[in-house]
Amino acid sequence: MAALLEMRGIVRCYGKLRANDGIDLDVHAGEIVGLLGENGSGKSTLMKVLFGMVPPDGGGIVFRGKELAGHRPGDAMAAGIAMIHQHFMLVEAMTVVENVMLGWKESGWWLGRHAMAARIRETSERFGLALDPFARVADLPLGRRQRIEILKAVLREAELLILDEPTSNLAPSEVTELLAILRRLRQDGKGIVFITHKLPEVMAVCDTVTVLRAGKVSGRAPVAGASRAGLAGMMVGRDVTAPQILGEIAPGPIRLDIQGLSGPGLGPIDLTLRGGEILGIAGVDGNGQLELAETLAGLRRATAGRISLDGQEITRATVNARMQAGLAYMPADRSSTALVRSMTIADNLMLRDSRRAPYRRHGLLAGRAGLTKAKALMQRFDIRAPSPATPASRLSGGNQQKIVIARELDRNPAVLIAHQPTWGLDPGATHFVLERMIALRDAGACVIYISSELEEVLSISDRVAVIAGGTIAGIMARAAIDMPQLGLWMSGRAA
Amino acid sequence: MSETAGAPRLAFRLRRDGLFPRILVAIGLSMLCAAVLVALAGHNPLTAFRAMLAGALGSPYQIGTVLNRTCPYLLAGAGLALCFRAGVINMGSDGQIAMGGIGTAATVLAWPGPPTVITAIAALIAAILCGGLWAAVATAIHLGRRVHEVLVTLLLNFVALLFVQLVLSGPLGQPGAGFLQSPAMPRAVWLWRVPHFYFHIGILIGVFASLALSFLLWKTPWGFAIRVTGRSRAAAAYAGFSTAAVTWGVMLTAGGLAGLGGGVEILGLHHRLIEGFSTGFGFKAVTVALLGALEPAAVIPAALFVGLLETGALAMQRQIGVPSALVVVIEGITMLFILTATVRRA
Ligand SMILES: Nc1ncnc2c1ncn2[C@@H]1O[C@H](COP(=O)(O)OP(=O)(O)OP(=O)(O)O)[C@@H](O)[C@H]1O
Ligand SMILES: [Mg+2]
Repeated sequence: MAALLEMRGIVRCYGKLRANDGIDLDVHAGEIVGLLGENGSGKSTLMKVLFGMVPPDGGGIVFRGKELAGHRPGDAMAAGIAMIHQHFMLVEAMTVVENVMLGWKESGWWLGRHAMAARIRETSERFGLALDPFARVADLPLGRRQRIEILKAVLREAELLILDEPTSNLAPSEVTELLAILRRLRQDGKGIVFITHKLPEVMAVCDTVTVLRAGKVSGRAPVAGASRAGLAGMMVGRDVTAPQILGEIAPGPIRLDIQGLSGPGLGPIDLTLRGGEILGIAGVDGNGQLELAETLAGLRRATAGRISLDGQEITRATVNARMQAGLAYMPADRSSTALVRSMTIADNLMLRDSRRAPYRRHGLLAGRAGLTKAKALMQRFDIRAPSPATPASRLSGGNQQKIVIARELDRNPAVLIAHQPTWGLDPGATHFVLERMIALRDAGACVIYISSELEEVLSISDRVAVIAGGTIAGIMARAAIDMPQLGLWMSGRAA
Repeated sequence: MSETAGAPRLAFRLRRDGLFPRILVAIGLSMLCAAVLVALAGHNPLTAFRAMLAGALGSPYQIGTVLNRTCPYLLAGAGLALCFRAGVINMGSDGQIAMGGIGTAATVLAWPGPPTVITAIAALIAAILCGGLWAAVATAIHLGRRVHEVLVTLLLNFVALLFVQLVLSGPLGQPGAGFLQSPAMPRAVWLWRVPHFYFHIGILIGVFASLALSFLLWKTPWGFAIRVTGRSRAAAAYAGFSTAAVTWGVMLTAGGLAGLGGGVEILGLHHRLIEGFSTGFGFKAVTVALLGALEPAAVIPAALFVGLLETGALAMQRQIGVPSALVVVIEGITMLFILTATVRRA
């Protein structure tokens, strides 16, 4: 059977960098192709070329037997390709129907909301999307919003769906549901390109995988019969799935003491952390994780309670004073909080330290010293970019996240609050980051590790707490992990 | 636009943005439009352009006129570039310039003893303080009551303009003059003029201030805070920069500079406070800041360009008698073209 999509010899250069260097990719109808590869290996670039967002410098695309060249996203959509963007292109104040009809010729001159709603219900049922046509987008959780994009794609008769890291900001239960939807789409004969760094997801839904490395295809294999270690090996050239073994806990003095901390949507929370300890916070996203992290970091005001760091009260301290006291914070929101995407890598690396050496000398910005420092950090944290003067927006997703990690770890913090720190990182980089956290802990710091990725939390935490409904539902030590109990806590007061 | 820790040289930054060719095309297109309009008005475009060029650059005196006209736009525009960089949309230059004028006039007229150079310096300082004060009022309302800054600064312009009328019909007025104006100021406080060209030293102050702001924006931690705040408030808060402090900083700087522009205009050009002396300056300053791509140093050529265009257009009107409305239209079209060519693409 002829392939639905044939990409041949795709080349795309950014300056001297060959982001795609002669890539072939085939997708058949009714097939889910997993596109894997390290951060910066060219996955997103390849999909942007396919969808017409960037023109290729070489190679050709044949889709449904027709050549696709010089196309723009509009043409790609008309031809039957849909891209589910990570930042959804939805109008939040409008309903699902209205969003579906937006910018679509078939919705006609008059807005026949009810006729369209019927079609939506039918499709939604067929693929298990569970969407109410008249729900307002703003009221829907992220997972549902993503399904609106899928719904739009299906209604517009897309034959090929591109999903670029669709699971990175979903709760685990939403991921499971998404994977089920993908299976139904496959049954319906759609072709799907699925980009992810999570091997279990690949094993669960993909038929074949194509692995990229440095802009070239480094491996191709059917998933049936492949082992997780084998896939990981193909991806990074070494097995990185081995669990992280922690040394014995040598409890130090109390470093972070949180008593009765409350705020809107949060608390009261009591937590005590000793030096040399990683406290994992698990839980379904949206249960107070962001509130807790931001209140600790000084970005939200606590309405009651107290926080002290190394015996010094910081409940009302400014962000700066907290940093000075040794508090580091990696926010989950990369696009507008943790990074300024239009600024350079060097600027982003000094984002929170511009008033300190080596970035500042004699009251001025030490440009040269800043660049030197940035180069060193890029090397140490493997941030792949041509130079420190490259704008952060030009980096691949994972490499952007490495900037945040480099900046916060380099300060040698006493307390680190890490919120989804491995978001978008490939297994190799994830491994590296987890190792660094453990090193930080072994050096006597304490880490609060907030993640909806339970497996990750379990692998590196000395203790695991579950947050639900803004409060800590319970804490258990690493030695006494009781999965059913964790599950109960998580679902207990979950929204 | 891209920014680096090393802040490469300005020329390099402009060149990398590919501005120069686009500006040339824009000027060419606007000339073409102007030519068509002049022809439609029944004049020979060539004669018109010649009159324009001669009127702006024909003699040292004309060049001096251009520089004097540029001065308030430059001072106010450089400050606005800073505000806009921080994401603070200050539309209050008009009022701040007017308040600067009042401060200057009041200082000179109330000066005890014989006026000297010290009087002039004190008057300019008063101009900075009054402009800053007016910006401070706006900032306090904006931050304290969370009213949008565009609204506050715009509305305060009207108050300031009426305030000029008020003082001119009261304490600072010249009774029986027939206009709302203050008595003339003694020669001792006039700004020094460069012989032969007759432009006053205000332009030098403006150039110095713009270069200083550019340095501040690119080479100091405070400038970094401004750039981060303008790009993302959330990232600025995370970096430990207080949006309120940055807003106060840029508003007071811009207000002070706009006030200084008003003071310089009075001491350098009119030698008295006149009703409506600053009308429209604020919007020219906005144009100039945008033309300069929010780069304080690039506001210098931008302001010069607008000064040149205005002086030339007025000369054209005087010499060949095209209607004055046409002059405004040509000015507007030119700025529109250049803005279209220079604004950053999203
Ligand atoms: N607009 C751009 N300008 C310059 N270089 C770019 C641009 N976009 C991407 N690149 C570079 O191209 C390479 C491939 O990037 P791409 O985004 O395709 O990686 P990726 O495989 O999606 O990685 P990740 O897993 O981190 O998302 C990277 O080295 C990146 O820095
Ligand atoms: Mg990517």
